[in-house]
Order: sequence, then C-alpha cells, then structure tokens
Amino acid sequence: MSNTSNGGADSKGKIAMYAKLYLAVLLIIIVSELIGIHKINIGPGSVVLLPMLYAVIIGILITPDVLGKPFKFLRKIVTSEEVEAAGPIVLISLLPLGVKYGTLVGPNIVKIIQAGPAFLLQELGNVATPLIALPLALMLGLEREAVGATVSICREPTLGVIGGRYGMNSPEGTGVLGTYMIGTVFGTIFFGLLGSFALLTGLHPYALAMASGMGSGSMMTAAASSLAAAADPALKDTILAYAATSNMLTGVTGMYSVIFIALPLTNLYYRKLYPVFKKDKGGK
Amino acid sequence: MLNMKNTLEQLKIMIVVAVMILIGQKIGYGLSVIEAIPGIILIVIVAMLALMIKDLLPNLKFPAFAWATMIGLILSMPFMPTAKFFLEYTNKVNFLGTTTPILAFAGISVGNKIPQLKKLSWKILLIAIVVFASTYFGSAIIAQIVLKIQGII
Repeated sequence: MSNTSNGGADSKGKIAMYAKLYLAVLLIIIVSELIGIHKINIGPGSVVLLPMLYAVIIGILITPDVLGKPFKFLRKIVTSEEVEAAGPIVLISLLPLGVKYGTLVGPNIVKIIQAGPAFLLQELGNVATPLIALPLALMLGLEREAVGATVSICREPTLGVIGGRYGMNSPEGTGVLGTYMIGTVFGTIFFGLLGSFALLTGLHPYALAMASGMGSGSMMTAAASSLAAAADPALKDTILAYAATSNMLTGVTGMYSVIFIALPLTNLYYRKLYPVFKKDKGGK
Repeated sequence: MLNMKNTLEQLKIMIVVAVMILIGQKIGYGLSVIEAIPGIILIVIVAMLALMIKDLLPNLKFPAFAWATMIGLILSMPFMPTAKFFLEYTNKVNFLGTTTPILAFAGISVGNKIPQLKKLSWKILLIAIVVFASTYFGSAIIAQIVLKIQGII
C-alpha cells in the first residue's frame, strides 16, 4: 500500500481509505455542532466550550491507540492509515479559516496599523517563556533537554532551528520535541479553555487577543474564539482581527526571534542557572 | 514549481472540506447551504491561490495559511473595489463553522503520536503547560502596557 502507483487495487484502496476518513470527520462535525456552544460559569469566570473543542477530543479518542484498542469496530473505520492521511489534510482545511481571518483583518486595517507598536513589542513577550519555564525544568532534573523544551512555544520553526543546530537526536532535540508534541495534542484544548478564563486576570481582551497569535493557526483560533465568545460581543471582531494579525506577524518573525534572541538568551540563562541547581542536588 | 497533479489533489480535498463547512454551519448555526455557496466558492478560490503562491515561492517560508489571510485581507480592505462584494458573500460563511473540520482532522492526525506521548514523563507535560502559559501571558502583559500607553485601551 505504500507505493504511490496508480494500480487498480491500490487506488481503490486509497479511495476507500479517504471515504472512511471523510465519513469519520463528517460524523465528528455533526456531533460537535449538535452539542453546540456552551458557556459554563466557574466561580468568578466562565469557560466557553466551542464545537472545535469537542471535535479535537472526539478525533483523538477514536484513533486506534486510544478507544480503538477496546472497541474493535472503531479500528475498522479509523486505522493507522487514516491517521496518517489526516495530517496533510489539516494544513489544507486550515485555509478557509485563513481567508475568514483576512476578511476580519481587512475592514479593520486602519485600527490595526494604529496598534502597530503594540503588535511588534508583544512579540518580545516570548522571552518570558525561558525566563519562567527554564528554572522549573532544571528543578525537575532536566539538563540540556531543558533548553529545547523551554526556548519558545516550540512550534514548527523552533523545531527547525533546534534540529538544525543540535540535531533531532540530541538532548535539546528531545526537549523541543516533547513540548512540540504536547502542544500538538493538547495545545488547542489548553488554549480553548485558557482563552476565556484569562479574562479573569483583568488584562484587556485586546491584549489577550494579541497574545493569542503564537504562530499556530489552530492554537490561535482556540484561544481567540473562546476569548471572543466570553468577552463583550461588541469587541468580537477586533479580538479576532488582532489575533489573526499577531499570528501572521509571528509567522514572519518567529524563526528569527528564536535564532537571534530566544536561543542565545536561553543558553546564557542555562549556564548561569545550571551550577545553582546542580549544587543544590549535590548538597543533599 | 507548480505541480498540476498535486494542485488538483489539493482542490479535491478543499471541495470536500468546503462541503463539510456548509453542512456543519447548517447544523450548528442554522445557516442556509444555498445562500452560502457563492461565498464558499470565493473562499476555495482564495485558498487555492494561497497554496499555489506557496508552491511558487518556496524560499519565502511564508505558510499557505498566512498567504490565505493576506489575500483575504487585501480583497476586503475598505478602499479596495472588491471589498463590498467579497465581504457580502464570504459573510454567509460562519467563522466558527470553518474551525470544526480542522480540529476534527487534527484530532485524528495526532492519534499516531499517543504511544510516543506515553513515553514522555509527566515532567515534560508540566513544563509544556508552563511554557504555553508564560508565552501567552508574557505577550499579553507587554501588549497591555503598550496599548495603554498608546491610549487604545
């Protein structure tokens, strides 16, 4: 099945495989949309549950290594082949959303240019990532893995930079892959919940909207749409437009900020901190 | 270079996704399938353009998603002659409706990472959560300060 020739049996198998995948996805969409949007008040804040959140959870659950294990019939529909095929489709299915973001940014373009300085400077907020997370990683006993794991939010550009510099099999590579994978599996769920709850901090929805653009289309969407659903409805369009703009900007600057700012800084910080944590352990 | 066979494959997938969006937004938001057809066709055209531009300019390292936003943005700026027409039709396609298919595919696609994920320790999970939260709040705090100085909020 792995060759890509157009032999009769092969392409028939391929069509059946895509048909099963599309059917599974369509069923997930129908169920998720039927459940609908729910706003749950928790203490002083509220969490907004959107259909996309159910979709990602159901999607993970029906794969062969999760519920496919105990339930045989699921393994007949979603096999590892469908799982493999779903990956490249994600990138294509993101594009209609990308266009919709364009239609949110376009009419607000003047407002966005006025907020230009905030957009540019908040990109530097990424520096807070190693500052806070590196000491924690060292405290938990990681060594060079800590540099890879905490250098940034570890999306594809960071994976490329760390892989290029240290190799993917290095300790730094293991670290960056760890954060990357957790982001891939739980990122949208995490930010889908945090996006609405973050309003409790008292930060303005516009500031939170800018922060949502972290260089991942799906994480940004989870953070920004749940924020937009929880905030004042009058702010909704600007929230989504700010988030999309910030995400586009991160797409441009992200890799360079890792190479020139985040990675040198994390390495320097590691050299200063490592002896401190090492001594602590030796003393015990 | 543009690979026609590849582009055609992408178009097929795009059409399937477009149909899914129409079905999803009918169920979730009660929006008419027929009324949304011109809008979704415009969206598919822009999305295909984004994929083609990305293939033609591989050295730019600008993702197709960002190209899609860029083209949508340019077509809907207030002083563009296309704005009224483009927005009128694409507004019939619900924003949240376009997100559900993505996450359904994304959920299934990470299924093969579960065994690898199980090998990671709880430590990396804790670290990753702190990484996510500090990236988010780091940017939010700076944005808050600058927006306040600028008098926007």
